[in-house]
Amino acid sequence: MKVLELKDVHKIYDKTEVEVHAVNGVSIDFIEGEFAAIVGPSGSGKTTLLNMIGGLDKPSTGVIFVDGKNLTKFKSSEIIDFRMRNIGFVFQSYNLIPVLTAKENVEFIMNLQKWPKKDRDRRTMELLEAVGLGDRGNSRPAQLSGGQQQRVAVARALATKPKFILADEPTANLDSASTYNLLDIMEKLNKEENITFIFSTHDARVVKKARRVITLEDGKVVSDITH
Amino acid sequence: MKNYRLAWRNLWRNRRRTMITAASIFFAVFFALVMRSLQLGTYDNLFKNIIETYSGYIQVQNENFWEDKIVDNVIGYSDELAQKIKSDENVIECIPRFESFALASSGSRTKGVLVMGIDPVKESLLSDVENKLVKYELTGEAIARLDKENIPESIKKNFSLFEGKSYATDGRILLDLGVKDRDSEMVLPLLRKHASVENGYIKQGEPGALVGDRLAKYLGLSRGDTIVLLGQGYHGTTAAGKFEIKGIVSLPAPDIESRIIYLPVDVCQDLYDTRGMLTSLALQVDDNDDKAIAETIERLDGDLEEPYRVLGWREMNETVVQQMEADDSGGMIMIGILYLVIAFGVFGTVLMMTAERRREFGVTISIGMQKTRMAMVMVYEMFYVGFIGIVLGVAVAVPIIIYGYYHPFSMSGEIAKMMEDYGFEPVMAFLWIDSYFIWQSVVVAIIVILSVIYPVRKIMKLKEVDALKA
Ligand SMILES: Nc1ncnc2c1ncn2[C@@H]1O[C@H](COP(=O)(O)OP(=O)(O)OP(=O)(O)O)[C@@H](O)[C@H]1O
Ligand SMILES: [Mg+2]
Repeated sequence: MKVLELKDVHKIYDKTEVEVHAVNGVSIDFIEGEFAAIVGPSGSGKTTLLNMIGGLDKPSTGVIFVDGKNLTKFKSSEIIDFRMRNIGFVFQSYNLIPVLTAKENVEFIMNLQKWPKKDRDRRTMELLEAVGLGDRGNSRPAQLSGGQQQRVAVARALATKPKFILADEPTANLDSASTYNLLDIMEKLNKEENITFIFSTHDARVVKKARRVITLEDGKVVSDITH
Repeated sequence: MKNYRLAWRNLWRNRRRTMITAASIFFAVFFALVMRSLQLGTYDNLFKNIIETYSGYIQVQNENFWEDKIVDNVIGYSDELAQKIKSDENVIECIPRFESFALASSGSRTKGVLVMGIDPVKESLLSDVENKLVKYELTGEAIARLDKENIPESIKKNFSLFEGKSYATDGRILLDLGVKDRDSEMVLPLLRKHASVENGYIKQGEPGALVGDRLAKYLGLSRGDTIVLLGQGYHGTTAAGKFEIKGIVSLPAPDIESRIIYLPVDVCQDLYDTRGMLTSLALQVDDNDDKAIAETIERLDGDLEEPYRVLGWREMNETVVQQMEADDSGGMIMIGILYLVIAFGVFGTVLMMTAERRREFGVTISIGMQKTRMAMVMVYEMFYVGFIGIVLGVAVAVPIIIYGYYHPFSMSGEIAKMMEDYGFEPVMAFLWIDSYFIWQSVVVAIIVILSVIYPVRKIMKLKEVDALKA
């Protein structure tokens, strides 16, 4: 089943001195359960593309369908609501709300979705166990390492079982042990929960783990390989 | 997590900044309240003194007397008139007054004075002159005698500050000397022994005068001396008389004390050749708050016809009221500046708070929190800071104001002289908790509301992509 469909998506920055064609005619689909990496040199348009897929930014032209709905047609408050219900995010760093504990951070979206407390507690425990932080639920982000914080962020993104999870260079600030650990967890959860992961990376170690690798250059897809 | 709980957590992410902001609001509220209470209390005291020693709250006069204070503009007194006025629900008694000007002289000194003919008995209902007769005087000799007594040093050192001052009540002299309640039983008998002054009172039908303490000192008069009054009587006749001074009065209104002479009203009428006539009837009222007074004046105005005019205390003390209002705006400007400084401080905090959380706003909104909700969290945060500041400010100010209300403090030296020159009794009094409390809190609430506009706008206009780059 298709969860995400991009049709001839362009993003042009024309407010700068020279016009930048950051994303230049990308058309790709993702199906349920994929574990896909978007790679490419710096400035090739990875972040721009992920932002548009996540509804954080609008394409200059082209359309994006999530679960059959056209993302580019939403109003601002509607798109926030849509993200809350359908898309999980993991950013490069400082993902967590600093005044909330790990447990409260994982619960955050469930709270926004008004889950009953009993369900929230059960799901939060299950996820914290899954990311290996079952005993750190009451720690604040500042008390966790960078890798632990990223794992909490993954747990939060997964909590309400979104259509897919977007992660823009989730391992960029991690050492190699933490990188492998995080990737293993992502991979495991991808299989267990059958949720699509789309992440961008520079890191060859990360690329190796991906089952599908999409390569961008100058805003264009130059290869799209599924292993 | 509910918005208000998230806001509470956010408040303590930078504990020191939150405390500083709340503390600055606290200080503003506290100072504004205490300053206001002191200022309003001092005005209140001033008016009470003037009203109670001189004008009363309401007077009925000849319609021309106020503009032209000559003895030709008098009213005839009749029981019928008094009855009519007394029938008003708020009027208890009509007190006859005959007010005029004269030149008073004694030896080589002469001064223009206010001659006030009073009913020595009825006047006790209003200005109670009998109880304002000087009881104590801190003369040089009295102080020398007191110094030999076993009195605490802290009290003794105050004697010289108030040398030469006269007092009509125990309370006032104890206040000036800074005598604590527990010491008063020991000090009072000594004051009576060494500093007391004997005074007589005046009686209807018997020539005799009471003189204000300051006036007596200016003219070099004391009890038993004779004073000569010279003025203009009814229809241009000459009013002249010689009166024995029966007593010296000390009034809490320095300006009046320095120019007043009381005579029995019938003696005064004889002097001015206006038998059976009065310049005014001062009314003793039941309810003296502004609204009740205004309503009473309106009713009486409707009831009384032609030659009469009803005046309220504000009208009768116009200059003092205006002077007070000018002084009051000065105080308001001070408080305004204080609040302005605080407002900038609060805004600075808000600015920092917003700037350093930009990325966090970006993340939170990206993962699905509505901007309106995020803004609500900010509103709660500022509300908490403001609330803590206001509550603390009120909580600390209230006991001080209540204490000050029951324990006014007296001024001495230069400040006292300055206050007296302005017509104030040199006593700092606090006003009881009143609507000014609400106003201070409203102002702070407005500051907080205004300062929250900025972060709310920032959040509402936030672009997720830009915020995430921060
Ligand atoms: N707001 C913007 N205004 C103008 N140009 C922009 C803006 N954002 C990105 N660009 C340009 O768009 C192009 C793509 O940027 P993008 O951030 O998507 O690259 P990237 O592949 O994520 O790079 P990196 O690997 O360094 O993160 C770059 O040339 C960049 O300079
Ligand atoms: Mg990037």
